[in-house]
Amino acid sequence: MIFYYLRLAAISLRRNWGQTTLMILAIGLGIGVCMSIVTINYLMAKDPIPDKSSQLYYVQLDNWDPNRPAESPNEPPDQITWMDHQALMSAAKAFRQTGNASATAIIRKPDDDNFRPFLARIRGNHADFFPMFDVPFLYGTGWTSDAHRDWGADQVVVLSRETNDRLFGGEDSVGREITLGNPTEFSSNLFRVIGVLDEWRPVPRFYDLTSNYFSDPAEIFIPFGLILSQGLSRSGNTNCWKPTGDGLRAFLGSECVWIQYWTELRNHQEKADYMAYLDQYVTEQKEGGRFPRPLNNRLSNVNEWLDHENVVQPEAKMLLAVAVMFLVVCLLNTIGLLLSKFLGKSSEIGVRRALGASRGSLMYQYLVETAMIGFGGGLLGLLLTWLGLESMLAIFGSDASNLMRLDLNMVVAAVALAIASAIGAGLYPTWRACRIDPAAQLKSQ
Amino acid sequence: MEIGPIFRALLRNRTGAILIAVQIAFTLTVVLNAAVMINEQVSKAGRPSGLNEADTFHMQSEAIDTINPQVTINNDLRAIRETPGVANALQMNTIPLSNGGWSTGVRVQQGDDPPVYSAAMYMVDDQAIDTMQLKLIAGENFAASDVVWRKPDESGWPGRVIITKALAKSLFPDDSPETTVGRAILLGESPANIIGIVDQLQAPWTQSSQIESSVMVPQQFQTGSPRYLIRAEPGQRDRLMPEIEAQLAERERGRMIRNLYSMDEVRRRSYNLETGLAMILGFVMVVLLLITGLGILGLASLSVRRRIKQIGIRRALGASTRDVLRYFLIENLLITSSGVVLGAIMAVAFNIALVNAMNFPKIEWYGVPLGMVVLVLLGQLAVWGPARQACGVSPATATRTV
Amino acid sequence: MLDMKGIARIYQTDLVRTHALRDLTLTVNEGDFTAVVGPSGSGKTTFLNIAGLLEDFDEGSYLLDGENVAGLNDRQRSKLRNEKIGFIFQGFNLIPDLNVFDNVDVPLRYRGFPAAERKRRIEEQLERFGLTGRIRHFPSQLSGGQQQRVAIARALAGDPRFLLADEPTGNLDSASASGVLDLLEGLHTSGTTIIMVTHDPALAARAPSSIHLQDGRVVGNDEAAA
Ligand SMILES: Nc1ncnc2c1ncn2[C@@H]1O[C@H](COP(=O)(O)OP(=O)(O)O)[C@@H](O)[C@H]1O
Ligand SMILES: [Mg+2]
Repeated sequence: MIFYYLRLAAISLRRNWGQTTLMILAIGLGIGVCMSIVTINYLMAKDPIPDKSSQLYYVQLDNWDPNRPAESPNEPPDQITWMDHQALMSAAKAFRQTGNASATAIIRKPDDDNFRPFLARIRGNHADFFPMFDVPFLYGTGWTSDAHRDWGADQVVVLSRETNDRLFGGEDSVGREITLGNPTEFSSNLFRVIGVLDEWRPVPRFYDLTSNYFSDPAEIFIPFGLILSQGLSRSGNTNCWKPTGDGLRAFLGSECVWIQYWTELRNHQEKADYMAYLDQYVTEQKEGGRFPRPLNNRLSNVNEWLDHENVVQPEAKMLLAVAVMFLVVCLLNTIGLLLSKFLGKSSEIGVRRALGASRGSLMYQYLVETAMIGFGGGLLGLLLTWLGLESMLAIFGSDASNLMRLDLNMVVAAVALAIASAIGAGLYPTWRACRIDPAAQLKSQ
Repeated sequence: MEIGPIFRALLRNRTGAILIAVQIAFTLTVVLNAAVMINEQVSKAGRPSGLNEADTFHMQSEAIDTINPQVTINNDLRAIRETPGVANALQMNTIPLSNGGWSTGVRVQQGDDPPVYSAAMYMVDDQAIDTMQLKLIAGENFAASDVVWRKPDESGWPGRVIITKALAKSLFPDDSPETTVGRAILLGESPANIIGIVDQLQAPWTQSSQIESSVMVPQQFQTGSPRYLIRAEPGQRDRLMPEIEAQLAERERGRMIRNLYSMDEVRRRSYNLETGLAMILGFVMVVLLLITGLGILGLASLSVRRRIKQIGIRRALGASTRDVLRYFLIENLLITSSGVVLGAIMAVAFNIALVNAMNFPKIEWYGVPLGMVVLVLLGQLAVWGPARQACGVSPATATRTV
Repeated sequence: MLDMKGIARIYQTDLVRTHALRDLTLTVNEGDFTAVVGPSGSGKTTFLNIAGLLEDFDEGSYLLDGENVAGLNDRQRSKLRNEKIGFIFQGFNLIPDLNVFDNVDVPLRYRGFPAAERKRRIEEQLERFGLTGRIRHFPSQLSGGQQQRVAIARALAGDPRFLLADEPTGNLDSASASGVLDLLEGLHTSGTTIIMVTHDPALAARAPSSIHLQDGRVVGNDEAAA
């Protein structure tokens, strides 16, 4: 019977091709626009590390100006100071912990004069960073938590996969050497590769939301302390609320915040203990004259932190609302056209009923027709989604390329949404068509 | 006249009419809100920065190979300024519109706990006003002797500064900005005197709410990666950009020239989100109007086809083609008017929700009636074709069809 | 066998109640050819629709082949309609989007016959009514008489035991009308039970028995004429 219905649908759709085109176009455009915008929202809002997002906590300490909060109404700053970083790291009260910060360096290959130097994004972090964030390795490993190495005695680096491709053509480069140079001072130092990451680009880059988190994954990882001891050029945001003295030493002893601090706390107990530790730490510091504001420490898990930092821009939410309304208009359009189409077939419906079609079989027949329109609309919608993402990529530039990827989930979702919305739109007209009273139709001659 | 019977006929077939009306209501909601958003984004992306952007470009020299960068910077600047076609050039710590830079809290010296305004800090020399073609509305420019080198790890600020009119207005709300020359202010904790006021010089952060607050200080930043802002003679910019890049690279082999961008390009990148959003919304708006129009057209043509016999009977009973045309136009008018009334309510409600949820612009008072008129006209336009088709129905149809 | 007792059908609209049928009792036996006559509005079509299970009734009982149809659901009624009843309408009611072959195919599809069986039956019927050359034509390309013959072929394709015809000649010229009646007589001879509604006494006279309806009531029964 399905083939018979498919044939009937094909005949009926071909007979009114103008109307059919209009319906497919309406559904396709609705899906296309809606899905492009939904895709971006989905990629912005999706959990970047679903397995552990509830165990990773971002630390905020309120060391700010007694007269005004770092951010209104009463938010602590979004990074911590060097002094607090040192204290928290050496106390090591969490299951795992890492401070991290970004820098830039000019990368050269000491054994290859033809290699064109480039400016790379460096991330300084501690050993726990890799196991905490489930960072996958292709070759080698990260540095171990041996404090001696972690604080930067050994000049080792871990390369991202892309960086390894660029520097070593993708081969196992463990043991090779590169130099990291300070772009503002003419100095550079040799580093030995100890690990190469596999593909790892969490979007958004949750471990550092202080800048450009939809693009720019870190290219090279180095032990945290080396950022300072090797005189690399720090590139992240630095915020200060009171003047610092001159020189590095003064900067490190200042209230300027520039380090992002993460902990892994496996359960409520660990979280409560850590919070208690933070409060106790700040209370002690208050005695030394620091932390003039009331106690205001925060632990936010990954999703709370993304939310706090407004990773999904309000504009994106507005666009989403607009996209949904757009889809609604397209569906209303389709409902209207289908209704009018099916009601135009009242006499055919009457005849079929007289010839022995049950309501169920008519429902089936018209749903097949609707589903066909939905399928056409879905395919068109998919094409338009892809086109939409491509053109947004053209508009927003490569910065946004991580956000514009159509993954398999989204493809399936687009087709499903198309067919579901077409059938949803078709349900009411079909139902109305099947309610048509055959006797009245046959009588009205 | 004949509205009564048309209305009653509509009521008998109300589902179709309701669908169109609701569709129009949603369309109006989206169109009105998208329009104010587009308007805001476009005007934000187009607001002036105070610079002559058309002729200006910048570049950054990384890793200057010298013990003393001052020499290189001075040599660079002299060579650039002497290049034929260059109007003037300047070393700056950051570039307007580039979204990265330095800021400091600024307040007046008297009173206890005066309000602090965040302002962008531009380290420039005495050529800044000429290079950027800023308008000095009061006071004087820096003298060449004011300009000193600033070490990388130095904090604090010099005592003679030029500020923007907007910042002067914030600091001294009771005085006209021109009269604030000579007043004493604090940059962070450093005391300074205002020596001049420029009409406009935007801070580099395009998303900042205090984008018009800037301070120029007479300092040259001693850095291994200086940024140069260069203004070309009119029409010479595109030729000079690669030429000066090559010239700098040539004079010192070890360095890297980065961020060679015209100010037009800087502006384009900085306002990418705004222009992109405006484009997307514009596209959505146009397509939505198109779909709504086509939907009305499709439904109208179906209803004409279904009513062929009826139309024939009317014609046979003496209706002229004008009457038939009018019937369909009035029918459409009834539907769209109820749609736009509903839509106006929805649009305003959605707008209020957006205004409350985020920093969203309000719909202007004239926007709502304008949108309503546009959609009613769209409806009339869309129904025109099918209505003309209905006029073509011959009166004989009444007797011939079964 | 079709057995109606005390059937009443009342249409309730906003303002008026119309008794389309009142207390109608009648039996149509296997192999009968019965004409239902009466003035316009007397309830003929309503009777036929009830007989064909297209419409419900408000009072009385109706047994079709001994089965009480009152308790059947939509699916069961549709099945009965499909297997036992063939319809012929005044307006032919061919489906304009389908060609002759596909029109005749419609009831067979709902019957669930295999493809070969359907093809055989369709061709057999079309040949029987002299329509073999018109298989790929659409209804709009046929004359009224041809359309009605297609409609009859469609009604008969599933071998129904009852053929219900509502003014089958109402839209035809007299030659075509008489041709259609010839066909019905032929079918009657070969054993099909036929109920034909008409307001034309001349046509009714050609049926062996007839029932007169007026205001929803049986006013005369001239089986004696047969
Ligand atoms: N759907 C309906 N609603 C109200 N009254 C109806 C309806 N259908 C038929 N009638 C009324 O029932 C009566 C019988 O109609 P019908 O059986 O069609 O008559 P006939 O076929 O003999 O001309 C008529 O008076 C008609 O007005
Ligand atoms: Mg009748």
